[in-house]
Amino acid sequence: MFDEMFKTDGAVRPAYASLYAHIATLSPAELEDRQKTLERSFLLQGITFTVYGAESTTERIIPTDLFPRIIDGKTWEHVETGLTQRLQAMNLFLADIYGQQSILKDGVVPRELILGAPSYRREMMDIYVPHSAYANVCGTDLIRNETGEVMVLEDNLRVPSGVSYMLANRDASKRTFPDAFGAARVRPIENYPDLLLATLKSMASEWRASPQVVVLTPGVYNSAYYEHAYLARLMGVPLVEGRDLVVHDNMVYMRTTLGLRRVDVIYRRVDDDFIDPLTFRRDSALGVAGLFNAYRSGSVMICNAPGTGVADDKAVYAYVPEIIRYYLNEDAILPNVETYLCREPVALQHTLENLDKLVVKAVGASGGYGMLIGPHATQKQRDDFAQQIKAHPANYIAQPTLKLSTAPCLIDGRIESRHVDLRPFILSGAKTVVTPGALTRVALTKGSLVVNSSQGGGSKDTWILSDTPGEPDRPEAAS
Amino acid sequence: MMLARVADSLYWVGRYIERAEHFCRLSDVMLNAAVDRTDSARQAAHIALSAVGEEDIDPERALERPADTVRTLMFDREDSASIVTSLARARENARQVRDQITTETWERLNLLYLRVTGPNAQAVYDQSPVAFLHEIIADLHLFKGAADATMSHGEGWRFLLTGVYLERAQLIARLLDVCFGDAAGGYLVNDHFAQLSVLRMACALEPYLRVYTAEMQPRLLIQFLLFDEEFPRSIRFCAARVQEHLTRASRYAEIFDGPSPERLAGRLSARLEFAEFDEVSQMGASAYLATIVQECARIHEAVYEAFVAYPLERRLPA
Repeated sequence: MFDEMFKTDGAVRPAYASLYAHIATLSPAELEDRQKTLERSFLLQGITFTVYGAESTTERIIPTDLFPRIIDGKTWEHVETGLTQRLQAMNLFLADIYGQQSILKDGVVPRELILGAPSYRREMMDIYVPHSAYANVCGTDLIRNETGEVMVLEDNLRVPSGVSYMLANRDASKRTFPDAFGAARVRPIENYPDLLLATLKSMASEWRASPQVVVLTPGVYNSAYYEHAYLARLMGVPLVEGRDLVVHDNMVYMRTTLGLRRVDVIYRRVDDDFIDPLTFRRDSALGVAGLFNAYRSGSVMICNAPGTGVADDKAVYAYVPEIIRYYLNEDAILPNVETYLCREPVALQHTLENLDKLVVKAVGASGGYGMLIGPHATQKQRDDFAQQIKAHPANYIAQPTLKLSTAPCLIDGRIESRHVDLRPFILSGAKTVVTPGALTRVALTKGSLVVNSSQGGGSKDTWILSDTPGEPDRPEAAS
Repeated sequence: MMLARVADSLYWVGRYIERAEHFCRLSDVMLNAAVDRTDSARQAAHIALSAVGEEDIDPERALERPADTVRTLMFDREDSASIVTSLARARENARQVRDQITTETWERLNLLYLRVTGPNAQAVYDQSPVAFLHEIIADLHLFKGAADATMSHGEGWRFLLTGVYLERAQLIARLLDVCFGDAAGGYLVNDHFAQLSVLRMACALEPYLRVYTAEMQPRLLIQFLLFDEEFPRSIRFCAARVQEHLTRASRYAEIFDGPSPERLAGRLSARLEFAEFDEVSQMGASAYLATIVQECARIHEAVYEAFVAYPLERRLPA
């Protein structure tokens, strides 16, 4: 297993040197103390989600670990080029399947896999999207395997969240370990809101000198509401709900105290299904009637574009290396995890025979739901899951159970290692930019591989170093 | 220019925090009065209970177990008039416009909310109800101070303060009506202790003393709480602030039919500015106060018509 902080011989990796030296001077009580201060500051800021109970309503913070995860400059350079390449290819892919469909005609990706997917939006056909930037904000889930090689686990091209935690974690870790932070020369991420705003504005820059950007939220009861408000506040743009917007003559307006004002770019944090009850789900109360027609007419931009979800489908994932080769004529820089598509008979048989070794995921689900982790499941769970797979093979994919890399965490006052993943954020408008930071998600339960916050996961800050102290952190032989 | 929904939320944050603060103060005075078991104490308790809209509670029983009476008023989440309900609603509204208020302002309110709804809240209250109330009042002052010192004094801030002052005018009018109007049921608040309590409920004791000295008379009390130019809780002062904030907020507003909110506020403000006490005694306190409450209600409606719930068809581009 690959540990982020220690080499197999127990030596501290150079990137962690300053942090390690600092932690060594602190007693367990002091660490515990800092952890408490950190949690309290999250609570005060309202970085919480609400748990509605029978007796009372309480607010909880997403568990946050005080030790940052550190990535050296060389490793990051590799990740950065890999992510840029991947998102560029994905945007070209989206432009193609909503246009010429040459990749389907050439048989590189099966036609029915795309056109039959529920996340494929026929309504998006032949719509002009500036810079071909369909996915303006992308959060890609990366992991490190046993040898430390960085791999892509999942693409999130719909409405990825977590960036506010990245920024809040950074704020907190600067206060928790100021000396180590200074010594390590961490790359700043505080300009994320500026970059996001520039990206959003670039989507309308062809026809508006100074576009009015808004953030569209489902409202205060959404679990990511904190993030919506946070981004709107830091970008200095209005945070709107569906009921604040009106469409008239294919123009979108917001209701202000001074009457109606034009809106040019909508950074929507509402799923495709809910943005316009006239075009998508009729029962949606979160959207704006007529919004999609206004979008079609080109008078407003919706970011991310509707229909991007088809590209982060778990079955399409398996084809991404092919997609990159098809459009860019390059090999994928960041490898995929080996994936068996149960829609294919051979893969299905392999999956059913090796259920105790594999992770099986439902194609349409996310957030760690609809998932079987073979080695951790009981025989009965595996049998039940096998029935479901046999009933709807096309709904499932299988992957080998990966030993995610581990990082030290403070658990009940003791330092223990836990599995982590990595979610960097990539922005794409006129330019594609990878933020030099990420959300590191932690599986807080010992031995668990599930990092989703809905399933008991936590998070920690991620330091990307501006240079590499000592030896670069290269993949090593498996231990 | 701001979202209509945001203006609405800020306005309600203002109203709810003002209500919570006022009810804390009434509760505090009641707890204080309960220490003396005199007729005047009973009178003070009755005033406080009536002013929070709990006339049904027998002041005799309230005075026997004052901490329990206040605990219910403090923590009852079912009761829309409880302090915790007001604070929760203020905070919920603030959360909906989290992007529009500064971190300093938000954290102050959030902290207060977490304290009164936390698992230990009732235990802390039981240790010292008076200290608990004082802390809430102090925190609400900090909230207003943070809003004043860190928020831009633009439209949003003005809607917040419009809410504060309009609510305050109505609360003081209600308190005066309970003490001196028909609602007092004929028995006049003329005893020194009771009048002292009323001034405390309006947070007016020290400013009053500086103007009228320790001489307490219902007439002077009414005059002070209705017409004083400088005391921030006199209705006249509140009306002047409402006028000021609404005038600034609607500087750029488009034309709308009906009476504009700043005109209504200006009318009320001018009336109070040039009023004389004789008008009150001629009309009767209750009738006079009722006109004020009515005008406040009309201002509230006008704010909605002008800024929040305007008909769309009049605002669409031609």
